[in-house]
Amino acid sequence: MHFPVASPNLRNPTHECGHVSVSAFSLFPGALSATGSSPAMVSIHIRGLTKRFGDVVALDGIDLDIESGELFFLLGPSGCGKTTLLRAIAGFHKPDEGTIKFGDEDITKVPPYKRETAMMFQSYALWPHLNVQKNVAFGLEERSIPRAEVKRRVEQALAMVKMEGLGSRKIHELSGGQQQRVALARALVVRPRCLMLDEPLSNLDAKLRIEMRTEIRRICKEFGLTAIYVTHDQKEALSIADRMAILVDGNVAQVGTPEELYRKPKSELIAGFVGETNLIEGEIVFISGANVYVRTPVGEMVGRAVDEKWKPTIGEKATVSVRPECLSIHETPQAQNTIAGLLTESVYLGEIAQYSLMADGSIIPIRISELNPRRVLRNTEQTFYTSSSPEDVVILPSN
Amino acid sequence: MNRALSITVYFLTGVFFLLFLAYPIWHTLKEAFLTSDGNLTFAYFLEIFRNPIYREGLVNSFFMGLFTTLLCILIAIPLALIYNTWNFPGKGILNSLVIVPLILPPFVGALGIRQILGQSGALNSLLIDLGLMDSSTPVDWLGQGQLFGIVVMNALHLFPIAYLNVSAALANLDPALDEAAENLGCHGIRRFFRITLPLIMPGLFAGSTIIFIWAFTELGVPLIFDFGRVTSVQIFSGIKDLSGNPFPYALVIVMLLFTGGFYLLGKRFFGKNMELGGGRATSSSQVSDATGGMGILCTGIFVLVILVALLPHAGVVLLSISDTWYATVLPSSFTTQHYADALGHPLTLLSIGNSLKYASLATCLDLVLGVAIAWVVVRSKLPGRQILDTVAMMPLAIPGLVLAFGYLAMTREGQPFDFLIRSEDPMLILVIAYGVRRLPYVVRSAAAGFQQTSVSLEEAARNLGCPPWKSLFKISLPLISANLIAGALLAFSFAMLEVSDSLILAEQQQHFPITKAIYALVSSLGDGPNLASALGVWSMAFLAITIVGAGIMLGRKLGSLFRV
Repeated sequence: MHFPVASPNLRNPTHECGHVSVSAFSLFPGALSATGSSPAMVSIHIRGLTKRFGDVVALDGIDLDIESGELFFLLGPSGCGKTTLLRAIAGFHKPDEGTIKFGDEDITKVPPYKRETAMMFQSYALWPHLNVQKNVAFGLEERSIPRAEVKRRVEQALAMVKMEGLGSRKIHELSGGQQQRVALARALVVRPRCLMLDEPLSNLDAKLRIEMRTEIRRICKEFGLTAIYVTHDQKEALSIADRMAILVDGNVAQVGTPEELYRKPKSELIAGFVGETNLIEGEIVFISGANVYVRTPVGEMVGRAVDEKWKPTIGEKATVSVRPECLSIHETPQAQNTIAGLLTESVYLGEIAQYSLMADGSIIPIRISELNPRRVLRNTEQTFYTSSSPEDVVILPSN
Repeated sequence: MNRALSITVYFLTGVFFLLFLAYPIWHTLKEAFLTSDGNLTFAYFLEIFRNPIYREGLVNSFFMGLFTTLLCILIAIPLALIYNTWNFPGKGILNSLVIVPLILPPFVGALGIRQILGQSGALNSLLIDLGLMDSSTPVDWLGQGQLFGIVVMNALHLFPIAYLNVSAALANLDPALDEAAENLGCHGIRRFFRITLPLIMPGLFAGSTIIFIWAFTELGVPLIFDFGRVTSVQIFSGIKDLSGNPFPYALVIVMLLFTGGFYLLGKRFFGKNMELGGGRATSSSQVSDATGGMGILCTGIFVLVILVALLPHAGVVLLSISDTWYATVLPSSFTTQHYADALGHPLTLLSIGNSLKYASLATCLDLVLGVAIAWVVVRSKLPGRQILDTVAMMPLAIPGLVLAFGYLAMTREGQPFDFLIRSEDPMLILVIAYGVRRLPYVVRSAAAGFQQTSVSLEEAARNLGCPPWKSLFKISLPLISANLIAGALLAFSFAMLEVSDSLILAEQQQHFPITKAIYALVSSLGDGPNLASALGVWSMAFLAITIVGAGIMLGRKLGSLFRV
């Protein structure tokens, strides 16, 4: 069972601001003003945060600033420390070094039950001995809110996640998607200073995941919540994040908006982790304005250096990163970024065609995605040529 | 696949349970509800509730069960919480030592506690020595509260069952459930009562049920304490009367109804099977190191509980080597004479031999039945396999006394099963009785083994041309041998110390098992209690080794052996 997203105009996350905040206030009058103030959302400032488990350094001096009202993503491969960082902010891990501040308040030593954050756990952690209504009411009862208001706010919260009328259900009677909604309601109802989401969608099927991520963004924006969202799914992050940090081996590798991280990765690692890319090593031979020319085994490539801190010099080793969808495929040699080779694989997926092109002198095929393919190239005898605009090619310092 | 074999096993074990579980109970029912000329009557049954002596017995038994259970829970929960929250010095070894009291017979321990808590016992002597008590007016701890003494003795014996269950329940809990509460502002004791306790209720209930039934029907401890006003002892005394007395049978039925009723009541309120929603647990439990004073405190609590639980048994050991021990803290002179005498005494050697014989044969019976039942329950797809599982676990919930009475009735001369007691030798019926009572341990451990061993291992063997029964012997049984050994060890040790069947079914000295020999020695004059202690010490040492062995082999899964 799954729930349709209520309003079609919510499907596109880039449109949320105008329509939704208005509808939220009209749908739930007083939702934000029950205590006479909007939720006490905070900015979060992390300095030099280090956490060791035995000999393993899980967090290695993390510095990070998350702005108030921001939907911030922690993204990274498993074991990179993203969940550890989230749990440290929630107070479940005591850091060995460093500080965490909510606004101006240093909360490094504050126990979890006094931090007024609300976490949505990967396993949802809904209490099976309490029904939906009691699960959601729990945090309010702990805050000694009067019973009538608890009842009202629980109903609002359930309505917000489209679970109205299901308050008396047992947890095990709910589907995965419904449990996820209850977990979200339980976290939201207390109006946390910071909402924390630990891989909240990993137990859902693909279709529901896309629906729910849009919902989560809608709700965060309605309430202007500061939210930290942990995931290893880059699509999830790219689609709804305001900003995101990529963690690698307990370090922050890069922070930025989804476009920045996708278009301007600062290292091979980031380029390879966010989205798919072709990495070709070579040597810088010429620089002309913004264009940097790199000689590689598969031919000369031209692109842009995106990291302002790096000044490329002629003769320096560099890596060319070009995404499959930035390459087009042709039967004749092209002016720029043309790589010649034979097709080793052609996959037709309807909206795109994927090709693997093996260039002379290379052992790794170049991947090409062609959007809206009018025909599929399958001739493995013929030489084909790529082409790309220099704006779409990123030149990275070689590691 | 294997359907024919499964059905055969199902049928044969079914017949076994009909003959040796259902029939004895039926027989007891008959004796309780039929007059000597075969008419149905409720007179005996109703008389139980009219007679104030029987009523008092039932009330006392109820309190014996209730208070023992509560005391067990009070001891077990803090221990289990400490175990699951902190790492502390000696954690591993203390965790296995905690279960030792379970295996030491409370019946023997009661001998020791009499020596410690009696009017001229060690505690009073200590208090007098310390100047805290007037030597002319010693407190009679046991006389003034015999039921209290029995409850303490039972609880010190049975709390490991609650500990194992609670500890397993805590370990299976998704730590995120506690963290979610913490995250929403709920902390400490409050969190324990709002979240943790309700979530471990099923585990706690499973343990409590066994403890309650065990304590409610306990025969050995009240007997040694010489406390006759509980139902179990009233039943036992009843059979000394002429064989025509129907009241013990009616009492047994009342007892069965009570235990069944408590079980269902508890299951209704606490045993609700709560499925954990959502995905798997994602964070591993956060066991933190207890540093400095905290670590010492944790270790100290464990050590204290173990020491107190072993105190009665320490008393037994002292008693067995004491020459004179009267009105002093420790015996005033020591001797090894009792061990020599015990070995020389015809009753002791004979009883050790008898017990070894009965218990090992019963264990063999359990292994055959247990593996067969576990295999059908776990591996076959027969529609009624859960019923077989439930029936096999029933002896845990049926008081030993009830079954013992049934066996006694069905093997009377002239009854269809009188051949099981051939020329006064109760060997066959005792082996069956021990076997049925201890079968649940073997079934549970074998089933756990089968569940952990992927069926595809057997399928691979079959795929390579090995017939089903042969793949069982060549593949699965070797893989689950650790489980089988552990289950068999438990079955064997509990059979060695079985009280109800032994006391009721073995009627002649040359057939006495250890427990009945100890009982006979205790009631004999002179150095009888010392001899009984020497015999008790021998069996305790033996059993402590087996339970620690089983604990090492099964680890945490040991707890699952004590679940209904």
